[in-house]
Amino acid sequence: MSFLIECPHCGPRNIYEFRFGGEVKPRPDENEVTDEEWADYVYLAKNVCGAQDEWWFHTKGCGCWFTVTRDTRTNMPVTREEEKA
Amino acid sequence: MFRDITSRFGRGTDRRLWHKRALQKSYDAVIIGGGLHGLGAAYYLGRDHGMTNVAVLERRYVGYGGSGRNTSIVRSNQRSKENIPLYDEGMKLWPELMRELDFNLMYFNCGNLNLAHSEAEASAFKMTVATAQYMGVQSEFLNAKECKKLVPQLDISDRPRYPIFGGMYHPPGGTVRHDAVVWALAKGADKLGIHIHQLTEVQGIDVENGKIAGVRTDKGNIRTPIVLNAAGGYSPTVSTMVGIDLPISVLPLQAMVSEPLKPFLHHVVSSGRYHAYASQSLKGEIVTGSHMDPWPTYNTTYTTARYLKHQGEALIEMMPCMRGTKFMRIWAGLTDMTPDMAPIMSDSNIEGYYMDCGWGYFGFKSGPITGRYMAQWLASRKCPDILGPFSLRRYRDYNLQRETAATMYYTPWN
Repeated sequence: MSFLIECPHCGPRNIYEFRFGGEVKPRPDENEVTDEEWADYVYLAKNVCGAQDEWWFHTKGCGCWFTVTRDTRTNMPVTREEEKA
Repeated sequence: MFRDITSRFGRGTDRRLWHKRALQKSYDAVIIGGGLHGLGAAYYLGRDHGMTNVAVLERRYVGYGGSGRNTSIVRSNQRSKENIPLYDEGMKLWPELMRELDFNLMYFNCGNLNLAHSEAEASAFKMTVATAQYMGVQSEFLNAKECKKLVPQLDISDRPRYPIFGGMYHPPGGTVRHDAVVWALAKGADKLGIHIHQLTEVQGIDVENGKIAGVRTDKGNIRTPIVLNAAGGYSPTVSTMVGIDLPISVLPLQAMVSEPLKPFLHHVVSSGRYHAYASQSLKGEIVTGSHMDPWPTYNTTYTTARYLKHQGEALIEMMPCMRGTKFMRIWAGLTDMTPDMAPIMSDSNIEGYYMDCGWGYFGFKSGPITGRYMAQWLASRKCPDILGPFSLRRYRDYNLQRETAATMYYTPWN
């Protein structure tokens, strides 16, 4: 079964309309970053098994970039309140 | 009379391939992941290095993950000079393993045909063929007519959306029954005295003074100086237990089998352009796999109508005789993809912590041989030369491997 992602502009749409854009992680300061820190930023991922903050891009829709919190075990959206409960 | 029958079929005698053992308080090494790579390393630790006080921890059951979910294809037509020797040695291991483990692995070296659908793809294949031949691996480039001679069902006309230009033929490739490999290695490891603990979940890894000290599981704690992370799709989550993030994306890959058909496909046929590969099992089913869904997930219970449709269309385009065939089953597995399409076999700054992961969708063909070299590494604490280029360090050194130029290049981004 496929699943839906909620675009802030277009609402819930079929997953295949979107492009996954990576995990949300802080971007290092480009003026001070070392080569190693930059490699870590580019390549490393947490691969959380559970609620994960991530970027999505509505490629076949409005072209909007946004963040979603998704449970990687079920592919269902998670709100931060639910996660705490 | 009945007594005779029951005794002949072994009732009362223990015919299990491996046994349930009590979890010990300490082991010389703990391997996380009861799949092909974990069991392979365990088996060779016992066989070659006399290390038998070893535990293999498996959260579910042996072969639950990628080891039992792949499409059972084996080949050694990789792209780069670092990868080819490892896979080539792995290919030569199958007949040896069958004899040694006394288990029919159904090794069928029917050959792989990778189709090219453009001039560019054809040139890329010619380069790959040249590398293979230079490294002593059998591989050749065929034109469309020669492909058709090999697989008469191929449509080499102009009709398909992506007509066939030619193909890369790799005769030693083929298929191996994946479940049998896992069972055989588990049997072999168990015979050597290695403990296989199923339904045992690793919940934490203890590190003391920069050294591995133990593993915490839901069945009890274990003291050990060595941990091998061979957890496949879950290798990043295991790795975060010791604070090491990995350059891996865990993507789901869907595969399916058709209803059984009379034998007509005698080779493994694959196409990067159509994102489809197919072979016919000995039962007659067409075993076919597709592209990965380009987002991370740990959910292997979901399969999508999109891929059923995609797969049907791709197969019919390449082999029109497939029209009307029904799919019987569809499933998904997890692939731990690295940015350079090459695995990570590495030690780390934590003494005693080793990784054998990032095998993406190509971990099956390389399982036993990798197990052999990882066992050597764990036992001697010295990296075998052949595994040197696969260190985790390569990402920080910006020295990625060149496997992205391989036949099928999949990442989260394409």
